[in-house]
Amino acid sequence: MEQLRKYNQVFMEAFSLAEGELTDKVVMGETTDWDSIGHVNLITSMEDVFDIMFETEDILEFTSYTKGKEILKKYNIYI
Amino acid sequence: MFLEIEKKNQENIALIDSEGNQVSYGDIVKFVPSFYSAVNKRTLIFVLNDNSVGAALGYLGAMSNHIVPLMLGASMDKELLGELIRIYQPEYIWKPLCMAESKDVLFEGYHYVLEATGLTGYPLYEELSLLLTTSGSTGSPKLVRHSYANLEAQAKNISAFFEMDGTERPIVDLPINYTYGLSVMNSHLYSGATVLLTSMNVLNPKYWVYLKEQKATVFTNVPYSYEILKKLRVFKMELPYLKIFTQGGGKLNEELHREFAEYAKNTGRKFIVTYGQTEGSARMAYLPSEYAIEKCGSIGKAIPNGKLYLLDEEGKKITEPGVIGEMVYEGPNVTLGYAQSGEDLLLGDERHGVLYTGDMVKMDGDGFFYIVGRKKRFLKLCGYRIGLDECENIIKSAFDTECACVGNDDCMHIYVTSEKEHEKIKRYIADKLGINSGAFKVCHIEQIPRNEAGKILYSKLS
Repeated sequence: MEQLRKYNQVFMEAFSLAEGELTDKVVMGETTDWDSIGHVNLITSMEDVFDIMFETEDILEFTSYTKGKEILKKYNIYI
Repeated sequence: MFLEIEKKNQENIALIDSEGNQVSYGDIVKFVPSFYSAVNKRTLIFVLNDNSVGAALGYLGAMSNHIVPLMLGASMDKELLGELIRIYQPEYIWKPLCMAESKDVLFEGYHYVLEATGLTGYPLYEELSLLLTTSGSTGSPKLVRHSYANLEAQAKNISAFFEMDGTERPIVDLPINYTYGLSVMNSHLYSGATVLLTSMNVLNPKYWVYLKEQKATVFTNVPYSYEILKKLRVFKMELPYLKIFTQGGGKLNEELHREFAEYAKNTGRKFIVTYGQTEGSARMAYLPSEYAIEKCGSIGKAIPNGKLYLLDEEGKKITEPGVIGEMVYEGPNVTLGYAQSGEDLLLGDERHGVLYTGDMVKMDGDGFFYIVGRKKRFLKLCGYRIGLDECENIIKSAFDTECACVGNDDCMHIYVTSEKEHEKIKRYIADKLGINSGAFKVCHIEQIPRNEAGKILYSKLS
C-alpha cells in the first residue's frame, strides 16, 4: 500500500490530478501536461521517490499510469 | 534550380521520411515542372507541413518555381490558420492528403494535395522568396520575409561551417516550418546529402528505431531535447553512426553544454553549439567543436560571411572584452523584414543586411560571444518565443488582477495581486500558449512595484 501511495503521489503532483482520477486513462500525450517535458518530470520524480534509475527503453515505454506499474516490477517495486 | 538540386548526383537519395517515402535528387528535378504546371504563376501558397517527403517537395517545388510558400505546421490551430488565410489571401494550399477538403484537387503526389482557395493573392515583391512565422510567438500573424539571396547564403554558409561533403544523413525532427529545422534541410540538400525527415520526437521508441535503421549521422535539436536526451541516458546508447550533435534554438545551460562536449570528445564525436533567429535565416553564430569545452557556455563567433559586434546604449561599438552590449549581426542571411498584412508582401528590404538581435551579449578576450540576457521582454519556454507583455495582457483580460511577468527560459514567474485562483491562472496561460504548466509559477504580491511614471519595475521582481 505504501508503494501505491507513493506512486499515486508522483502522478498527482506531476499532472495536478486527484487520486480518483488515476485510472488507465492517464496516458502520455492525452493527459494534460503529460507531454515531453511532463514526461521527464514524471520520470525524474519516480526515480527520486523509489531510488532507482530507469533504463532507456523503460523511460520510452512508460506511457501510461497502468504501464508504469508493470515497468516498476523490473526494479523490484510492486504496486 | 533552388539549392542547385539539378547539379547533384541525380541517383542519390535526397529525402526519406519515417512513413517509408523517399525521393532521389533526380525525382525532385522531375517533380518541379509538374508542380509548376498546376500552379502556373508566381503567387502565394501555404504549405501545411507534417515533416514528410510530400511536405518537403511542396516547399522545394514552390521555391524552385519562384512561387512563394508560407510554411506552417499541419497541426496548427484551425482558427489561427483561418486568420492567416484571411490576412494573406493565398491562392493555393499544399496539404496532407488526409486534410483534403475540396473534391477539386489540382495536383496530387506523395500523400499531399494542392487545393485552390478561390482567393486572389496580393502582389509580391520580386525578391520575396519565403515566409515563416517567428519561432512560436503563439497566435501572432506576424511573418518574416526572406529573399532568395537569404536562403542561398544560409545553405552555403551552414554547409561550409559544418564542413558537409554530401555523405551526411541528418535526422530532422524539428519541423521544417521552423527556421532551424528548415535550415538543416536546406544546407544538407545543398551539399547533396540524404535528409531523414520525421514528425516523431525522441520520446517515441520508433524514433530510435528509425534513427538506427537509417544510420543517421547528424542530430540537431533545441535545449529541452538535450535535457530529454540526457535523461534517456544517451551517453550509454549504442549509436555507431551518429557523429555530430548540434544544438540551437536557445541557450543550453552550461552544465549540459559541458556534459555533451565531454561526451563528444571522449567518443570521437563533434558537439557544435549554434545561435540564430528566424530574422537571420536561422544560424548567425557557431562554436566550433574544438572549442566546445574550452569555451563552454559561449555561442562562438559569426558564421562564414557574417559579422557580429556589440553596441553600447549610445549605439557605439564596444571593443573591449567583458563589456555587455546589444549584439548586432551583419550578413547576407539577414531577412528583408516583417509582414503584418497582405499589402506588406510588396515591401522591399528594410534591414539592408543589419540585424539588431535584441540579445545582450559580452565578448571574451579571444573574440568569443556569450549571451547574458535579453533587451526585449520575452522568454524561450520549451523552445517557443513567448512575449512577457503579451502574457500579462492575456492574464489581465481573463482574471481580475494586476499582473507582472518575469523569469528565465526554464520558468516564467507570474506575479499577481489576486490572492486566489493561482492554479487556475497557471492552467489558463499554459493552455493558451500550449506549453506545459510546469513552466509557469504564480506568486502573490501585495503591490506591483512601479516607478513614479507608473512603469513596472521588473528588476525588483526577479
